[in-house]
Amino acid sequence: MIRERLRPLASQAKRGYVRLMLEVVGRSMEAISQVDEQVRGEVSVLPNGFLFAMRVMPNGPALVMRKQRDGSLQYIGGDSAQKPDLSVQFKHLHHAFMVLSFQEKTAQAFANDRILVDGDLGYATRMTRVLNRLETFILPKLVAERAVKQYPDSLGLPEKLINGARIYLKVVTNFVDTVRSS
Amino acid sequence: MSYYEFFCPVKVIAGQAALEHVPYEFSSRNCKRPMIVTDKGVRAAGLLDKVLTAFEEGGMDVTVIYDDVPADSSKQTVKAIAKEYRSKKCDAILAIGGGSPIDTAKAVNILVSEGGDDIAKYSGAGVLTRPLKPFIVIPTTAGTGSEVTSVAVIADTEKEVKLAFASSFMLPDAAVIDPRMTLTLPPHITAATGMDAMTHSVEAFTCMAKNPLSDAYASAAIKKISANLPKVMKKPDDAEARLEMAQASTMAGIAFSNSMVGLVHALGHSLGAICHLPHGLCMSLFLPYVLEYNLESIREPLSELLLPLAGPEIYAMTPKSQRAEESIATIRKMRDDLYRDCKLPRTLQETGKVDKSQLDRIAQATIDDGSIMFNPREATLEDARAVLEKAWG
Repeated sequence: MIRERLRPLASQAKRGYVRLMLEVVGRSMEAISQVDEQVRGEVSVLPNGFLFAMRVMPNGPALVMRKQRDGSLQYIGGDSAQKPDLSVQFKHLHHAFMVLSFQEKTAQAFANDRILVDGDLGYATRMTRVLNRLETFILPKLVAERAVKQYPDSLGLPEKLINGARIYLKVVTNFVDTVRSS
Repeated sequence: MSYYEFFCPVKVIAGQAALEHVPYEFSSRNCKRPMIVTDKGVRAAGLLDKVLTAFEEGGMDVTVIYDDVPADSSKQTVKAIAKEYRSKKCDAILAIGGGSPIDTAKAVNILVSEGGDDIAKYSGAGVLTRPLKPFIVIPTTAGTGSEVTSVAVIADTEKEVKLAFASSFMLPDAAVIDPRMTLTLPPHITAATGMDAMTHSVEAFTCMAKNPLSDAYASAAIKKISANLPKVMKKPDDAEARLEMAQASTMAGIAFSNSMVGLVHALGHSLGAICHLPHGLCMSLFLPYVLEYNLESIREPLSELLLPLAGPEIYAMTPKSQRAEESIATIRKMRDDLYRDCKLPRTLQETGKVDKSQLDRIAQATIDDGSIMFNPREATLEDARAVLEKAWG
């Protein structure tokens, strides 16, 4: 009985978590695209104005990013009137929850057919690498190893800490700027 | 706990006198006006005649034959064939050939079923939402596995891009595997397409989306290829061995279309696009080097593959810790034998068509290829460059 009553609450919590994490990921991708040369290299081949969306099917939480003229990515929120050039869609809320709670690697979610790609597959692999790079910087190594296909051997602790701190600082700064301008 | 999906609704019609089943397969689907899509090579090799005889004796007319599919089919070719299909009021498609006629026929089926003249409108994954016209495939090479895959690639020559199409609705209704259709394959094509099927199987068995069902198809295909590729190289008219190879190719196609492929394909697609080398050859060139690169991530499945690759005696004699390396050595030996038999190149240098200055471009294209997503190791630009350097020779 109690379990029956708690079930909707658990689903709501899951939905809330996925929505929150998509915003965190979106803002962090914006930040890493401003500070990390490797990510800027990945993003450089995307056309200016390129719209990337990651969403939960059919009408669940989403994040939308736009490639800026300066070569960075801009987080533009949870929706866009314009059709994205590349859309990565989780088939179910639970699949997004597993990836965003680091229980399933992004590449494994692709391999497990939990994600549909609408758009250029080459760009999708690039955006996955951006996401992996972000996760290696902002997550503790033990958690990041669960999230990415292969934790880079070359990434030392000082570089991880410095870049992680720069990304977190950028996220806070961008967030404050957004609040001030709204 | 693992998760997987597996789907193959294609009816496989294989063996002696399989061609003679084609008229029945169409009539049982209420089709009376089939169109054949093929290429000049198939006609010149006399393979089309065998199919036409089967139709004639089966009491069915072929309404129209389009035999001018080029090696790299384009949007314009698809449009022209669809126009012909409509003007002759056809009601089904029969593709006869290797990868190009089969991919072209898949694209034509989209246009004639969904309407319109521009195939580009339907590119991408999941665009189609309903079944297409009846469609049967007779492969004439033992390698691509296209007769059981749900994808097609067509060139957009105006924009100079390749358009990819993916939908389970593109899968043929039936694949007809008749040994007569591969008997006349020249040795170098037999070798390259055989190694294509081998690569499909090995990557299906070792990459990220492997699953118990695709594993079963992949390992059985490897056993058939290892046993029969040497036979057809020595005795091209060995119908039994040709049938085994054709079945292995179809089984490998079922395996990889349900488990995807990895870095060998990512490198091979890039090399093929930049240096215009045949797909099967590209697979053969990279297979051992990529297995060496992936070794520590795939040691267990690669060790298992020694049994179908080399047989029970060698498997039993090889210590467990050495089986993965022995699998790679067996594949290398297979390539050496093919080089001896028909000069199938083993290194980029041996192809004589690759310039070392092109390696950077090939590496860059490799990391943008979708197949790299399913490779068990996270291959970087530097990794791709390093594998290319080893494959250079």
